[in-house]
Amino acid sequence: MTDGPLIVQSDKTLLLDIDHPLSTECRRSIAPFAELERSPEHIHTYRLTNLGLWNARAAGHDAEQVIDVLIKYSRYAVPHSILVDVAETMSRYGRLRLEADPVHGLILVTTDTAVLEEVIRAKKIAPLLGPRIDDETIVVFANQRGAIKQSLLRLGWPAEDFAGYVDGEAHEISLVQNDWKIRPYQELAAEGFWHGGSGVVVLPCGAGKTIVGAAAMAHAKATTLILVTNTVAARQWREELLKRTTLTEDEIGEYSGAKKEIRPVTIATYQVMTKKKNGVYAHLDLFDTHDWGLIIYDEVHLLPAPIFRFTADIQSRRRLGLTATLVREDGMEGEVFSLIGPKRYDVPWKEIESQGYIAPAECIEVRVNLTEEERLLYATAEPEERYRYCATTRTKRNVVETLVKKHAGEQILVIGQYITQLDELSEVLGVPVIKGDTPVKERERLFNMFRTGELTTLVVSKVANFSIDLPDATIAIQVSGAFGSRQEEAQRLGRILRPKSDGRSATFYSLVSRDTIDQDFAQNRQRFLAEQGYSYTIIDADDISKEKI
Amino acid sequence: MEKRSFTDHLRSVDDAALLALFSMRPDLVTPIPPDIASLAVRATSAPSLARAIDSLNKWQFQVIEACAALDEPIREKDIVALTDKAALNVIPFLISIGLIYPSEDGLRLPYQLREVIGNEPAGLGPTSMAKLKLSALDEMPADAKKILSHLVWGPPRGSVGDIKNPGPGVAWLLKEKFLVPLDQRTVILPKEVAIHLRGGKIHKEQFITAPQLQGTKRDAKNRDLAAIANISTVLRWVEELLNFWAEEPADSLRAGGLGVRDLKVASQHLGVDESCTAFIAELAYLSSLIAINADDQILPSNKFDIWLMQTPGARWQQIASQWLITSRVSGLVGRVESKNIAALGPELDRVNATRVRTLTLELLKENASIAPSKESFRELFSWRAPVRRNSSLQEELVEWSLREAEWLGITGQGALSKYGKAFIDGEDLEIIDADLPKTVDHILIQGDNTAIAPGPLEHEISGALAIMADIESRGGATVYRFSESTIRRTLDHGKTGEEISSFLKKVSKTPMPQPLEYLIADVAKKHGKLRVGNTSSFIRCEDSALIAQIIADKKLDVLSLRRIAPEVLICDHDATDAMRLLREAGYLPAGESANGIMLTGPRTNRAVTKPRPPRVIGEIETPTKESLGAAIRALRTGEKSSHRQTHLRSIANNALGSLPRTSANETLDLLTQYIEKGQSLSIGYADNNGSVSHRIIDPLKVSAGSLIARDHATGELQTFRIPRITGVAPL
Repeated sequence: MTDGPLIVQSDKTLLLDIDHPLSTECRRSIAPFAELERSPEHIHTYRLTNLGLWNARAAGHDAEQVIDVLIKYSRYAVPHSILVDVAETMSRYGRLRLEADPVHGLILVTTDTAVLEEVIRAKKIAPLLGPRIDDETIVVFANQRGAIKQSLLRLGWPAEDFAGYVDGEAHEISLVQNDWKIRPYQELAAEGFWHGGSGVVVLPCGAGKTIVGAAAMAHAKATTLILVTNTVAARQWREELLKRTTLTEDEIGEYSGAKKEIRPVTIATYQVMTKKKNGVYAHLDLFDTHDWGLIIYDEVHLLPAPIFRFTADIQSRRRLGLTATLVREDGMEGEVFSLIGPKRYDVPWKEIESQGYIAPAECIEVRVNLTEEERLLYATAEPEERYRYCATTRTKRNVVETLVKKHAGEQILVIGQYITQLDELSEVLGVPVIKGDTPVKERERLFNMFRTGELTTLVVSKVANFSIDLPDATIAIQVSGAFGSRQEEAQRLGRILRPKSDGRSATFYSLVSRDTIDQDFAQNRQRFLAEQGYSYTIIDADDISKEKI
Repeated sequence: MEKRSFTDHLRSVDDAALLALFSMRPDLVTPIPPDIASLAVRATSAPSLARAIDSLNKWQFQVIEACAALDEPIREKDIVALTDKAALNVIPFLISIGLIYPSEDGLRLPYQLREVIGNEPAGLGPTSMAKLKLSALDEMPADAKKILSHLVWGPPRGSVGDIKNPGPGVAWLLKEKFLVPLDQRTVILPKEVAIHLRGGKIHKEQFITAPQLQGTKRDAKNRDLAAIANISTVLRWVEELLNFWAEEPADSLRAGGLGVRDLKVASQHLGVDESCTAFIAELAYLSSLIAINADDQILPSNKFDIWLMQTPGARWQQIASQWLITSRVSGLVGRVESKNIAALGPELDRVNATRVRTLTLELLKENASIAPSKESFRELFSWRAPVRRNSSLQEELVEWSLREAEWLGITGQGALSKYGKAFIDGEDLEIIDADLPKTVDHILIQGDNTAIAPGPLEHEISGALAIMADIESRGGATVYRFSESTIRRTLDHGKTGEEISSFLKKVSKTPMPQPLEYLIADVAKKHGKLRVGNTSSFIRCEDSALIAQIIADKKLDVLSLRRIAPEVLICDHDATDAMRLLREAGYLPAGESANGIMLTGPRTNRAVTKPRPPRVIGEIETPTKESLGAAIRALRTGEKSSHRQTHLRSIANNALGSLPRTSANETLDLLTQYIEKGQSLSIGYADNNGSVSHRIIDPLKVSAGSLIARDHATGELQTFRIPRITGVAPL
């Protein structure tokens, strides 16, 4: 028995004791094949998944190496069943290969006829296949490359894809690093993606995912389609690309509700892509207008269903997904991985924080009481109305006022879900509000004022959940949210994680009504961040008002 | 000359030979036969012979087949001629096990042996009545050749259309007497012809030596490491399963046993597949750790608590030794072929289970350090124990035995571990305690409401934590998750919020995160705010808003609640239903007794009924040397007595006048002395009324204040209480 930092559990989770001297070394060794699940203060949890093991195989690691690592760092004897399972799982990879054949186009080749016989009999697979060429080869319809990969993955016989990617129309793009340097992890992420071909990069909010995108474009040196959540984000991307790369204004187009430009680098919004005209998605053709060499999906965890379907058809183009929080309450994470590609880079938030690339943040849950009158109202409210009642309590308004006063002089964002609540707050605080119906121009104007410091406090709705770059915001006050959404909580914290010029730490307040479902939802919302090592401090609303005096 | 009988043979052998016979065929001494004649009868009975044949390996069986194919008296050289020189090594063994015996003119077979082996040993027909010209076979016509090729390796019988009108081949064979007509349509191939055609040997292939076991070589360190991991896992499994059933007792089926649904639930809880769960449940059942109470609930028994207090080594030994001797086969559960067989049910006994298990371990021990491949092991096994009768399951049994040995940690990575070896050899298992990972006495609580025990936890801590948190991941370490419902569960068990907090602070190495502290405080504050009574079924709460909320709650309409005071509701349903519905609706009620005291559930459930482990009906246990010695002595005495009974009776009568008198100590001393010498004694024995009678006995054994001896007068074994023996004298 060694005294290693790793405990291998019989349910395929790996527990890594990060206070152990060997933990960093061990983390590096297991990262290629194990997926990081949680990274709280003391013990990080990784999981051995089939997908992770196959990705490791794809990256050139064999079962022997994986088993060696497990045994080397394990504190207790590694359960035999796990070792057997690792070897078995990894040996399934590569028995089937997708190849490009000069005569037949896309073909599925096997080294093990029995496996091929098994898969071609599967109901989901048969329709994707063309004629059989010989015992070991069968034709696959070229446009079904994504679908067959997905189905094979589900059957447990992942195909190794040798068919390669189309290069796309070449277009010179490179990074211009005159007054800034690409950070080591950004470079690793971009390289990890490039060598893997396609995939998802997971980095905390504020850690500079745009740069990873830009670096990927510099690798590809080809025309690029970038899909983002909304117009404001599109313009931010554009600004960043102009600043960080050799691209000029003429080379970057915006494809949104307002403009329909198609240029070598085109930034489109999810919204316009999924807009239906006479029952058809009129704008999905954009994927085909250009011979794109790279497609970037920003905030890939929000990928809407129609784009999901379409993405399956463009498996021969390189795809990069960017996200901070690959948790979907609809459980579609697996789809993202199989369509965009596996996770190519992931790093615990706290590690980036310790390197100083995102601001340290303190999370505070403020418990407020409902007034006696509200309690009665809440108690008798219809279930579907309950959350609104408790989340929009008057008490929160007072607490927000107090907090804003307390942090006067700092850049404060007040974030909420309910428009009436936000309007009220905007009135009480005497600051503007940005919500769904605020025109893009007005939004940009307000955000700019906020960035320049003309405006220190801003009330925003969920439109500001993502992709909005507000470098100097240090305080976020969340008054209500989309029920128990974990990723929303993390994204909102992300708004204030840009490292501050003076190294100041950020503070995230979440206002929660005591003894109501608001509290239950809050618990779920906080889970993702808690698992990333952000520990919430709970304080009472009364304590804040006392502090003031 | 009179033929020497098997009885004569047994009379002539010495004690050592009898001892050998009994240890190979323990069924001969259960119960102890009264004399050699009855022993011989039993040893030559068909069931006993069949049993003995079952214990032969493939080669020994081929030799006995050859013997059966020969006419008595059998000469060794004939056996060798039909088989191989190596047969000479087997013959003494076959004699010692009583399947053949020597007489003056050669070897003979016990009377019923041919019947047990079958009329056509090795597929050979009867001896030809006529004189055969075997050389003619070398030039037989092609038709005949074709016919014989079907019959030569047996079965020797073949059917023809009509014996009166045979085809040319058959006609030639019949003419030459190479085929013998049995009836209108059947012919049979005489033994001599077949042997000639088989080239003088009777077997196509001779299995003289055991096949070499193939497999992966495992080094000692790795296999022991793997085994100790398995041992700690199986102990954890048993403990967890029983703790689970204590919380949520499984129901026994009407026909007995564990239902498929309950099995599935348990297997989900343990995180192992259903066959493994069935195995664990059976282990617990065999060791009396569970019992089925009057309500047909399957619950941990009191023995479980005792078991838990033992060292891991002792715990393991208990379950492993029960596994070894049981005739129950948990592998049968959940097979497609036998859908209705339930774990813990009445249909799991299989006669050869114990034998297969023992032999499996024996083979593993003979091939230490090899993790055998399934095929190779099966091959070796079937050489050692060829499938003959009642063994349809043998292959599966072998596979299950290997699988279960691995689960138990007798093997590690498929090869016998040092713990397994110590277990088979009956050695001390303290090495298990020494090698198991040391228990830890602390946990690490983290901000995401999980706690991690970085090793096996001390029993009290893990017990308490199992209630306070749900287990998320098991193995070397344990991951616990705290949630509102687990805290509530703890409160339901009668702990207060402060008790939970202080316990966690005590056992946690890391500071308690504030969110968890708040969680506990929040739930504790709410817990018990609602109190539900059983007597009149009322719901009361000091908080009238909450009462209002409840009465307005549509989900609780079924309770038909009525508000009888601002803080009290009553309902027509009994309290249990009310509690359930309230909890389902998201409230945190607590029960209340008639005098207003909060009721909390019992800590753990235990069955009140005595555990009744299943009866072991497998193989007869191999008796110890001592008991076999006693059996032989008994037999010898019986023998003496049957010959000289009348003579002894008269001596007894003569001696009646002069009863020996010895003191109690002297009696005991003399008895032990004479038991060793095996001498007959004359004793005086007082009956219930105090009248003393004179007995002639052969003392066999002193135990628990009694003498077990054979009374010459009756010829039967009898127990004499030593204090009642008035005196002892040698005859």
